[in-house]
Amino acid sequence: MQAEPQRLSAAVGAMGTPRERPSIWSRLDAASPSVLLMPTVVIVLALSIFPLIVSLYLSLSRFQFVRGGFQITFIGFRNYEKLLFGSEQRHFLGRIAAIEPIWWLPLALLGGYMAYLLFRYVTSPRRRIFGLVMRLLTLVITGGAALLIAATLSGTGLPGTLVVTLIFVFGSVALQYGIGLGLALLLTQNIAGKRFFRIIFLLPMMITPVGIGFLFRMLTNTTQGPLGPIWIAFGQADFSWVESASSARLAVIIGDVWQWTPFMFIILLAALEGVSRETIEAGLVDGANRFQLFRFIVLPEIVPVSTTVILIRLIETFKIVDMPNILTGGGPGTATESLTLHAYNSWRALDLGQSSAIAYLLLFTVTFVAMVFVNFVRKRIIQAFS
Amino acid sequence: MKKQHLILFLTVLVAVFATSAVFAQDQYAGVTIDVLTFTGPQIAEPLQRHAPAFAAMTGATINVVTVPFADLYQSILTDQATGTNSYEAFVFAPQWMGDYIVPGYLENLSPFVEADEALAWEDVGQFFREFSSTYEGSVYTIPLDGDFHMVYYRIDVLEQLGLEPPRTWDEYLAIAEAANGQDMNGDGVGDYGSCIAKKRAEQGYWFISSIASGFIQTQGTSQGGFFDSETLQPLVNNPGFIRALEIYKATNAFGPADELNIGVGDTRGLWVAGRCALTLDWGDIGSLAVSEGSMVNGLTGAVILPGSTEVLDRATNTLVPCDETTCPFAIDGVNHAPFAAFGGWSGGVSAAADPLVKEAAYAYLSYVSQPAQSNIDVTIGATGFNPYRISQFEDLQPWLDGGFTQEAAENYLGAINASLSSPNMMLDLRVPQNARYQQVVLDEVISRYLADELTAAEAAAEIEMRWNEISDELGRDAQLAVYQATLGIQGGN
Amino acid sequence: MAATAKPNPAPRTAKNSGRFFESRNPFKPSPVWRIISYALLGLWSIVVLFPLYWLLITAFKQPIDVQAGPRYLPFIDFQPTLQTWNELLVEQGIFVIRPYLNTIVVGLISAVCALIIGTAASYALNRFEYRPKPGLILSFIGCVVLMVICIGAGLPPFAAIVIGLAVYALIAQTIGKRFKAGGFNNSDIAFWLVSQRMLPPIAVIIPIYVMFQQAGLLNTHAGLIIAYTAVNLPLVIWFMRDYFASIPVELEESAFIDGASRYTVLRRIVLPLALPGLIATFLIVLVFAWNEYTLALFLTGAETQTMPLLVAAQNATRGPQWWNISVLVTLMVTPIVIMAIILERYIAKGILVGAVKG
Repeated sequence: MQAEPQRLSAAVGAMGTPRERPSIWSRLDAASPSVLLMPTVVIVLALSIFPLIVSLYLSLSRFQFVRGGFQITFIGFRNYEKLLFGSEQRHFLGRIAAIEPIWWLPLALLGGYMAYLLFRYVTSPRRRIFGLVMRLLTLVITGGAALLIAATLSGTGLPGTLVVTLIFVFGSVALQYGIGLGLALLLTQNIAGKRFFRIIFLLPMMITPVGIGFLFRMLTNTTQGPLGPIWIAFGQADFSWVESASSARLAVIIGDVWQWTPFMFIILLAALEGVSRETIEAGLVDGANRFQLFRFIVLPEIVPVSTTVILIRLIETFKIVDMPNILTGGGPGTATESLTLHAYNSWRALDLGQSSAIAYLLLFTVTFVAMVFVNFVRKRIIQAFS
Repeated sequence: MKKQHLILFLTVLVAVFATSAVFAQDQYAGVTIDVLTFTGPQIAEPLQRHAPAFAAMTGATINVVTVPFADLYQSILTDQATGTNSYEAFVFAPQWMGDYIVPGYLENLSPFVEADEALAWEDVGQFFREFSSTYEGSVYTIPLDGDFHMVYYRIDVLEQLGLEPPRTWDEYLAIAEAANGQDMNGDGVGDYGSCIAKKRAEQGYWFISSIASGFIQTQGTSQGGFFDSETLQPLVNNPGFIRALEIYKATNAFGPADELNIGVGDTRGLWVAGRCALTLDWGDIGSLAVSEGSMVNGLTGAVILPGSTEVLDRATNTLVPCDETTCPFAIDGVNHAPFAAFGGWSGGVSAAADPLVKEAAYAYLSYVSQPAQSNIDVTIGATGFNPYRISQFEDLQPWLDGGFTQEAAENYLGAINASLSSPNMMLDLRVPQNARYQQVVLDEVISRYLADELTAAEAAAEIEMRWNEISDELGRDAQLAVYQATLGIQGGN
Repeated sequence: MAATAKPNPAPRTAKNSGRFFESRNPFKPSPVWRIISYALLGLWSIVVLFPLYWLLITAFKQPIDVQAGPRYLPFIDFQPTLQTWNELLVEQGIFVIRPYLNTIVVGLISAVCALIIGTAASYALNRFEYRPKPGLILSFIGCVVLMVICIGAGLPPFAAIVIGLAVYALIAQTIGKRFKAGGFNNSDIAFWLVSQRMLPPIAVIIPIYVMFQQAGLLNTHAGLIIAYTAVNLPLVIWFMRDYFASIPVELEESAFIDGASRYTVLRRIVLPLALPGLIATFLIVLVFAWNEYTLALFLTGAETQTMPLLVAAQNATRGPQWWNISVLVTLMVTPIVIMAIILERYIAKGILVGAVKG
């Protein structure tokens, strides 16, 4: 640590005494906030705002070929209507069934908790109309989503692409976080071979997602894949991942977890290694045991990083497409069809209106989940642990 | 392999000398033709291979550009619709021609074809000449490949079981059931009675039409098998199609456990490894069966798609027995309607190109399709080209050189010929945005039906409802007019 | 040398930068726990390595070795062959090597561009306060809508862009100078940038295609580089923002007193300190650009195709060509893995994601 300030002052010294700069330089220097930020803003604006607006327009119109070219007809909300209430409803939202008793308790708990939070907000002094409206909206959407999940996963219900995407997102992000944190914790110990494991664990992230899709299709193939003998050993001679909807979904989640756990792992490892030694030693002096150290000292320090990395993965996993597309093509039936794959299928058939409408509904869902996560879940978690 | 290469080389040499008389030297000097197709090696490989010889003759540079198969349809449309026009010629599935011809992206090739003797147009199978490459009576594409479904069977397994190759789908199921679980490749593990690629978003939705065709189309190709040719009412919510759905699902029991997730790549692998008694596929199996490492060389038999003794009466929406009026083309009382799924890779010329470039692009497509080139290409598995010319059946020698035994070649070519010469071949759907009807709706509903999400009746009703919805959205009259045009029905609306 | 490798910026919360978990861990894991740890680490290593092993041996299999059921061990189960390698690298030659070179060129350049532009922005977001006015943003969106309408009305795109920008400049000049009372702050800008990753690429690919076509960027390396730079910027900003936050401002202030400009300080002081972070971020964005599929599919032609397209293309009418896919993926991943091994110590130290204030 000693070397550093010296090197720095040497660097500063090398710059020499300030000399007279031409005024353009000083103006540029004064404008440095804009100069540094503007390129990013311009590039992102140019490549996002225009396409976003065009897509919005496409989602409100019908694209078709006519003699002499193509035409785009404005049809209002017809594409959305079709997805939410029309012939695509079963595909998008799913088939509704009577909610099974097993769901009653979780639904009641969720409803009760949300009602409690709302009550607390209404009775608190910092209540505002805007805040109330936003909370009511959140409550309605979350409650509706919970009911939809319960109703499509019960009995004769079938989840649509929306619910399937939610299953992928929550299933694989939870697994990635759990495994990633576990591995990072193991590697913070004083054991040999850390570097080796660290490189090995990073490998899956470096492979192109298309390639991983094919790799897992090879691995899950009943007749040509390598796992056959394992299933035979378990007495499941002709095991197939795609016979049932749930195992097909599990296969997709496993593939996604395999690929993206490294991302969680490497960032959590960095966060863990950043936990300061002094705090830990202070804890040791106080006589904390291993678990207490983790719970009261390490965890609070990595919670902010954890929520950030979870948010990144949430956003990215909502766009999951390569894995289900290559592994199962969305099948069996529509069991593994994610929202992006649904949009991709329409898009491939040049149903651009429908495709954009699905994409916009996806954007709405991601934004909602990200907002709730940032403003509600994350805040509470950080409060709870620090 | 070596022998094949030598033959290829000699043929190319001969072709160069023979055709150099036809083409004036350096007729198209300086012309560059970008041909868009999918990333091979098949299809793209012969296009690349023939380019130097063509360049030597005419001076034109051929540049083969490839995109992944799944995105070819989109890429061609995007290029043309936005006026980018990077390509002068396309090699694509003629199934998509409706989408390309209606907006005017493809050049009418009739004048070229009429003036082109080297193409030997009359040698091309009647179905490909009159239906596959033709729209409203004009030629828009040059066939390079013949695509239709056939059933393949294991000669040895059927012999052992004392069964004949299937003529109807009931016989197909009976054979599959009898053969299922037997060891067919001597590795001590039970193999499968029937292997069909049912993976979603791959080829699964074509096979249902192959089963349904025999029930639904009886009066020849121009009757059409997807819609009523007068009202555009879908021909799916009827006992014939529902019967086909039931047969399709019944084959699940005799296939690999993960049959719902395997594509043709997998079924072909299984076939070559000797693990299936029956399979449903395009012509590719024939040449793959004789390829290096194949365990079924000489054991692979082919037969025209099975049919039905009961067919759909469109007026009453019921199944009626076959007789002379209901099934005029029946063979031994069985109505066969071989399904030209996908349609066979064909070349089209961009209407936006300059006249000289169009001429050169046409000349190249014609060159690849000419018997001197194609009759060799179709015997090589790597090209992905399947037979579509009459002369390709007459001379067995290239096939024997390609590795076929005399018996296998006769059997394979016999089945192809039977399909190709059938006046009742069923044309694939070619109305604009057919991808929405088939790739999106049909594929999804069939997949749900196979996964037990829907019953057969529900599946049929759902397809009907959603097909009608698409037709209404895109304009029923316009769609109907194109449907009739692809079937060669004149007048109409 | 040691200084560059271990600048060891202290996290904001820590007073001293000694690291608990590294080498001087007060807990020596007990022997039992050590065995359990190795067992768990070994288990996950198998989970990671087995698929890769399968990929690698498939690259040396003949088709029949794949099709005839699982074969596990080279030389015992099957005879490894270089047939596929020969076919792809020698016989197809240019059709494989060209995409490979394209991937390298586009990946490296776009990663560097994203790094430079994104680093500047994330530094700025850390050291300056921005107060973008909602009115300005709304008027900008309004101008883009105006542009779209103009294009829809048949105006040439170039003219539409000029009109849109002119109107915006007018509005910005009249109300834009007043930056005082604003609804947004730096966190909102950061969140907005990150939110660019929320929309699936499929939704915006057609408009982007048209834009690139009008700009003459289709089928050029430059087009793809611009697209990847834009896509990767949010990631760079996200990673580097926290890294800069961990570098004490005091170091820079002394340089300012000596009269150095902002850019000099950035170049001479901040960037060297942030080197591990830069390298780690570089690797991550390189991997993203290296492996991207959807944008490449639309923005490239024969000359500029990249490797992911070639991998996807192996699933054609014949079904997936497993052996080809395996060879191509192995080829693709090798340089990245080598780089990762060389730069490993930076990756571990360089990622320092703190809390982005949402």
